Amino acid sequence: MNYKLLHIFRNTPFGRETFLQSLYFCKIINAHPVVYIPKSDKFLMYFSNDAVQVDLDASYLTSPETAKTHAQDLFDEMEIKSKFFEPKNFTASSLPDIPTNFDYLCCPRSVSDLSSKIGLGHLGPKVRRIIKHATFPILITSPVFKPWKSISVFFGGSKNAMNSLKIGLKIAMSSGLPLDIYTCLEKKEASHYKELINAADLTEPVKQLSRKWHFYEKDDFDTMLYDIPHNSLIVLGAYGHGLIKDFLFGSKMEQIQSTVTNNLLITGPHCSISL
Amino acid sequence: MSKIKNWYKRIYHELFHLDDRLLLIIAGSIVGICSGLAAVALRLSLESALEWLHPYRSYGWAFLLPAIGAVLSSFYLEKISREGAGHGVPEVIYSVSRYGGLLRLRSSFSRLISSLLTIGSGGSAGPEAPVVMSGSAIGSNIAKFLGLNDRQRITLVGCGTAGAIASIFNAPIAGLVFSVEVILGEWKFVNIIPIAIAAVAGAQISQSIIPAQVIFNHHPFNIGVSDILPSLCLGIVTAFVSVLFTKILRQTGKIAKKTSFPFWVRAIIGGCTVGMIGMFMPVVLGEGYHFIQLMILGTFSMGTFLIFVAIFAKIFATAMTLGWGGSGGIFAPCLLIGSLTGILFHKMLFVFFPDIISAREGAYALLGMTGLISGVMQAPLTGIFLIVEITGGYETILPLIVVSSISSTMSHYIEPASFYLKELIERGQFLRPGTDARILSDLDLGELVDKEHIRVSENMVFREFIELIKTSNQNFFPVIEDATDEYKGVIQITAIRKYVLDPGMYDMIFLNQVMDTDILTASLDNGLQEVLDMMDMNNMDSISVVEHDLFIGMISKNRILDLYRRELIMQTTAH
Amino acid sequence: MELSVSELSKLLGVAPTTIERWLRQGNLPVSSKGTHCRFNKLELEKWAAKKKITLNFSEKVLPSKKEDEDIPLPAAIQNGGIYYDIQGDKVSQVLKNSIEKISIIPDDLKTDLFERLMEREVALSTGIGRGIAIPHPREQLNYLDGPVICVCFLDHPVDYNALDQKPVFVLFFILCPDLKMHLHLLSALSFCLKDPQFISFLKSKPDSVQLITKIEYLQQENTQ
Repeated sequence: MNYKLLHIFRNTPFGRETFLQSLYFCKIINAHPVVYIPKSDKFLMYFSNDAVQVDLDASYLTSPETAKTHAQDLFDEMEIKSKFFEPKNFTASSLPDIPTNFDYLCCPRSVSDLSSKIGLGHLGPKVRRIIKHATFPILITSPVFKPWKSISVFFGGSKNAMNSLKIGLKIAMSSGLPLDIYTCLEKKEASHYKELINAADLTEPVKQLSRKWHFYEKDDFDTMLYDIPHNSLIVLGAYGHGLIKDFLFGSKMEQIQSTVTNNLLITGPHCSISL
Repeated sequence: MSKIKNWYKRIYHELFHLDDRLLLIIAGSIVGICSGLAAVALRLSLESALEWLHPYRSYGWAFLLPAIGAVLSSFYLEKISREGAGHGVPEVIYSVSRYGGLLRLRSSFSRLISSLLTIGSGGSAGPEAPVVMSGSAIGSNIAKFLGLNDRQRITLVGCGTAGAIASIFNAPIAGLVFSVEVILGEWKFVNIIPIAIAAVAGAQISQSIIPAQVIFNHHPFNIGVSDILPSLCLGIVTAFVSVLFTKILRQTGKIAKKTSFPFWVRAIIGGCTVGMIGMFMPVVLGEGYHFIQLMILGTFSMGTFLIFVAIFAKIFATAMTLGWGGSGGIFAPCLLIGSLTGILFHKMLFVFFPDIISAREGAYALLGMTGLISGVMQAPLTGIFLIVEITGGYETILPLIVVSSISSTMSHYIEPASFYLKELIERGQFLRPGTDARILSDLDLGELVDKEHIRVSENMVFREFIELIKTSNQNFFPVIEDATDEYKGVIQITAIRKYVLDPGMYDMIFLNQVMDTDILTASLDNGLQEVLDMMDMNNMDSISVVEHDLFIGMISKNRILDLYRRELIMQTTAH
Repeated sequence: MELSVSELSKLLGVAPTTIERWLRQGNLPVSSKGTHCRFNKLELEKWAAKKKITLNFSEKVLPSKKEDEDIPLPAAIQNGGIYYDIQGDKVSQVLKNSIEKISIIPDDLKTDLFERLMEREVALSTGIGRGIAIPHPREQLNYLDGPVICVCFLDHPVDYNALDQKPVFVLFFILCPDLKMHLHLLSALSFCLKDPQFISFLKSKPDSVQLITKIEYLQQENTQ
């Protein structure tokens, strides 16, 4: 299949780690990375119902003369054919439009803060907004390049979680890596989740592709996070419960992404994924 | 919580299923009020900035004021709100034609602040473009909040524009006409009503907050038939002034871009130049509404020669402000230059023909304005209706139409693209609805590509291939590599005829020996226009689409025609 | 009635991505909900009529219809019948006598058919060699229900101006209401006639059951 991942290249050592991570992801799932080397410190993404301006910090524009060769070297190192994206449309002369028809987008945890400040911390507001509007899953990389050997899907039962399960299955299919499903029981029984899967016609693929389904009690959330293998790709849905609830109680996504160092693949509420 | 949510959902659902038009009218009037408020806010703050800075104008260092304003304004735009440069109107037109009017939330206020800094400090620019930008951004964001689709959102963007223009000039029809003529570019029944209501709402807001409309209150004029002939000449004069204005604006901008100074140095240079001019000729400073009013009333006291100089001074000052870092529009400078030209023309008229019976000086100031608006923006209707509303009578309409049509025709002849559209046309992004360029840009290659093609392996023996083509009606067979699925070339039935008719060849050759490898391919990133050009240049009826070395499908001219027609129907018939 | 994007795309004959774009742009009278569009069928039909767009509510039936028309060769012979001992020493005589015998031709049209066949023979002989001729008219015969092949064995071989100048001993009349079927039958027949064994089998003047089994056997061998 012809899947494309957009990577916004940052010509710094930190950017190199993220880029290696994207390349690794593409290699594993057989997708094609497309690299955009920014020429101005901002760009616009037009989603179906929002225009999101992404302001990049100055480090994205570091030594533009070497950026392309650096990216090319990394492409060669991973033995992947290089492809660079040149924006064609401009809203204003210094404001290129980046198309939104990609299948994946790679983001560091924040695009407009300095990398030193991020560490694990929280997701930047722009990344959050992209997740909220994107029709494709977002790959949020770990701070350093970390190959992963398995896939962990965090399944909470919502519509987004269903999407994340689907994308997890898809990746498991194309990569051949083992898949684990993690569910933290909230009020409901384990059987409830199995019924959900059944209703979505996913029982069969889940049976075939997944290694184990782990269930945890509500209080064991942190245990669960620890149990997730350190070298696995975590797939999860964002904003499963609506904005207001997220605002009041915080979302699981925030909790997960601020505790684990793994690579995350996040599906937003507008993602539509078919197996 | 869930109760409120359900309730909201139900209300929303009901509203959505109401007639589209009612929804648009309600939303449009809200948008009109909001953008009207934005326009009023900018005007009031400009007035108070002028008053506040007035005492300092007499000092020797006053020429620095516009520089400070320009630096602050460009610093704000570049670093705080991080907007792209430009005065905004092309951006709105671009977004309307390409992205269904999606505008950023920050645009709804950022241009207001930056233009306040520029104009308030004395920079020569107009507050209309910033107000249009923020009005349309307000419309767009309200549409976003309501979850409307592109068509409805575009209407609300038009409402925002109309409300803003109507409010700033207290001229609802001018707002409506400007919005449709310049921003939307199509007269559609469903658009007109909400936009008209928004324009009226904007004008009403403006009237109720600023009850004594100092500027542009109605002045009746007696323009008679005897003024037709002078109007003809004035039309020609204004056309030349418009072209000159447009050219100087663009040239100065280009020069500024070529210099390697950081933005704030540029702003200082531009601001100081404007300040210096302003020391000797205060008429160039700011948006100049006050002077325009004096000219309309006929109490403007300046010598003939000075007026002549002032026209060029204003043109130059505006170019320096906008090209070198200030923020604002060209609408108000157009009006000022236009009225100066009109007055100059009137004065000259009396020099050469002392006995002529003609209207007052103020009337010619108005005619000059129409000429400039029609010439620079190539929006003749906006020019006509704005002045008609200002004069409040239709007796002026004949000379207005004469000036406006001559000016817009002549300047169109010399400079085919108006100031607002020039940039878009140069980038090939001028996509009015229902035009060829628009349809081609809307149709994505992914929508056209026919993916159901039998692919053949490069290691297939020719005899097998002959069996395959007996049962297939395909004319093109993509050849791929076995292991990687990589695209290798294509076999055209028409090109291999001589081998097909020779059974001796059947077992002798493999497909990689007969395929064409140098046939052009397209990629999904290509625009339809590019692909069509490619096909025309090489006389092809079909082209294969290859991406990342993988064969995606074929695009044929038949399919393009089919979808082109569908798209044309979709875009042009009324809803 | 509820339809998904892909179903609607089939209905309108465009790609699903086009439907998604139209939905986003507000060009369709459909309120979208996730991947499902809900629309009122009546409303959609009204809209399509206004825009002069045809909706393909039914599946296309053209290709399958063509399959039905291809009548197999044995069936055509069965319908046409086999006739023996046709008298005559000249082309016109054998043709006339054959037509007299062929029962599916209405009596009042027999002379017409004879004239047409003779016209064809004058233009170019239908004797294809090895003692075989395939007389047929150049226009279709509208009065026939279906394509038929009538096999007529001659009493004694007749000089037919054939390509190889050999006298002809059997005539295969191909009579069709449609030119397309004609081509199909001609190609199937000439395939069988390529086989020398089949020719010598014909010389034995087989009865219809034997002939049809032989043809079926030949065709089966070919497909294997």
